[in-house]
Amino acid sequence: MTLLQVRNLTKNYDGIGILNGVNFSLHEGEIKVVMGPSGCGKTTLLRCLNRLVEPSSGEIIFDDKDITAADVDIRQVRQRIGFVFQNFALYRHLSALENVKLGLRKLRGLSDAEATQRAIYELSHVEMQDHQDKYPAHLSGGQQQRVAIARALAMDPAVLFFDEPTSALDPLMAREIANLLNRLHAEKVTILCVTHDVTLAKNLPGDVLFLNHGHVEAEAPISELMQNHASENVRAFFEEKAPNA
Amino acid sequence: MSESFAFLSDMVDYGPQILNGLINTLLLAGTISVTGLFAGILIFRLTLSENRFIRKSTASYISFFIGTPLIVLLFLMYYGLPQWGIKLSPFAIAAIGFTLNIAAYNSRYLSAAYNGIDQQQLMAASAQGFSSRQIFSLIILPQTLRRAIPGLTNQVALNIKDSSIAFLIQYVDFFAQMQEQASLNFQYLKVYAVTGAIYLLLVSLVIFGSKRLETRYAIPH
Amino acid sequence: MTFLEIISILVRGAGFTILVTFACILTGLFSGLLAALLFRLDIRPLNWLLHAFTYAFRGIPLLVVLFLVFFGLPSIGLPIPPLLAMMLSLGLICGAYLSEVFRGALKAVDPNEIMVAQSMGMHRIQILISIEIPQMLRFSAPGMLNEFTTVLKYSPFAYTVGVPEILKEATSLALTTLRGMEIYLAVGILYFLIYKIMMEMFLWVERHYAIPGFKQI
Repeated sequence: MTLLQVRNLTKNYDGIGILNGVNFSLHEGEIKVVMGPSGCGKTTLLRCLNRLVEPSSGEIIFDDKDITAADVDIRQVRQRIGFVFQNFALYRHLSALENVKLGLRKLRGLSDAEATQRAIYELSHVEMQDHQDKYPAHLSGGQQQRVAIARALAMDPAVLFFDEPTSALDPLMAREIANLLNRLHAEKVTILCVTHDVTLAKNLPGDVLFLNHGHVEAEAPISELMQNHASENVRAFFEEKAPNA
Repeated sequence: MSESFAFLSDMVDYGPQILNGLINTLLLAGTISVTGLFAGILIFRLTLSENRFIRKSTASYISFFIGTPLIVLLFLMYYGLPQWGIKLSPFAIAAIGFTLNIAAYNSRYLSAAYNGIDQQQLMAASAQGFSSRQIFSLIILPQTLRRAIPGLTNQVALNIKDSSIAFLIQYVDFFAQMQEQASLNFQYLKVYAVTGAIYLLLVSLVIFGSKRLETRYAIPH
Repeated sequence: MTFLEIISILVRGAGFTILVTFACILTGLFSGLLAALLFRLDIRPLNWLLHAFTYAFRGIPLLVVLFLVFFGLPSIGLPIPPLLAMMLSLGLICGAYLSEVFRGALKAVDPNEIMVAQSMGMHRIQILISIEIPQMLRFSAPGMLNEFTTVLKYSPFAYTVGVPEILKEATSLALTTLRGMEIYLAVGILYFLIYKIMMEMFLWVERHYAIPGFKQI
């Protein structure tokens, strides 16, 4: 079943088109990777999808409803979309456990005991239960990223968005995050992942959406994109990113 | 209408005294700003002393003056010293008291600026053979003074404002003259509003000057 | 009068000193927080008003504001009791300085954390209460201690409007006993002790709420 369908999505900043009519869909349980050269609009696309950035035009059908409509309570929609940012952005004044609990308490209205129980469950899901009382400053980048993922998962999202999840991590930690994404995929979590990390993309199943100059230039498994693709832009991108592949 | 006219004409009648008070305010604020700067540099120099005892005593000095109200020191000199047969003028007492107090604050601004400078420069200077006195005057002081301009000039603005407490030891400054004026015409609200506006103007001039100074003496990065 | 009696009178005054200091700090915290949060709304005319408030209250000497409130307002039919006059002068001056401290601290909150909270579906007010204010207060700790110290040091001026605090007691004692030197020395030490105790209490609270990774600004 189609969970998310994007039609003719555009975004202009001061008359400059960042997104110029993006079309794609995401099915339940699917994992899809968004790639493209820097400045292609991939981060803007992700932020338009939950209207952290207001799109200029187009439709975003999420769960059969157009969430760009004026009467939509966007905060309700956002609570169903888990968002994991590039720089983790853990709340610095809260411990790992409290980071996961905050949304459960304030948005889901769970009691302290319920929220704690659920948060511990999510932290153990990402193998962070031993660090639950540590503050972000005392966690490594990979650990912070795991907590950020647990924080997003705790809200029972219909879909998880990842914005460059490995770009702030060293290769070893990036590999762990790739494994974690695969595990989530195996658990039927729907995932949309923006990345420029070819290694990560190669380690994930599912199609790659190749974005260039604000529109979808190609959509195919990464193996196809990397083998003499018809598009000059796609070839140039992968030659630069992974010259030996 | 006639009321505000009367108010203005009172001010004009009392003009010479008010002007005299303003000059006294500027004289005191100016004096303590200069003496406070030099005393502050001296205290700052002592905080860098190699001698542990000097460093400890300097720290206590700074802590004491930052922790106790200046007015107590002024009253101590004004009401206490005559007990020992020492009678100083209100101006002298204010100048001494303020200088001791401002020195503590200025030395703190300088210390904060000192903590920001690259310590390797100082090692390089030692390695080159400069004496510690030369290092202080040639390298540390020029840099810390420049970096401390915002704090030091802010202190000047504070000095103008704080000099208004000197009337409590019978120094006839601007504020004292304005109080006299208020008690004559009973226009407390108006007189104190005008007083506030003039202090605000003086402080604004200092802030304006400090911005100029900051851009002129900024250390290039 | 023995020196012990003198000390006991001064200590009685210390109660009022602490009362004045505490009342003005609370006024300052409340008005400073309010001003900083109103600044955050970023409404043009309101911003001008807030700028005018902070500029005036940071630029006019305490005694002028105090006299304006205590002697000026009654002349237009608004009699102000001494403690309230201190709160409206020293308290609001403290608030003007604190609002600058708080505004700076709010800027230190990582915008990414605010974006995450938005993307989780949190409301503006929820973000302010759960994320921004707790972080802002921690960033503000050194600035707050500075302002609280200033309030204590300016509290003696309450004597000019008749509050029987330390300096007021000292002044009458000095006149009757003619032992000004010892009395004012004792007063200085007494203030220093209050300052030290206040600082220790503040640092204790700060340590209690301290979180690793919060650099002081």
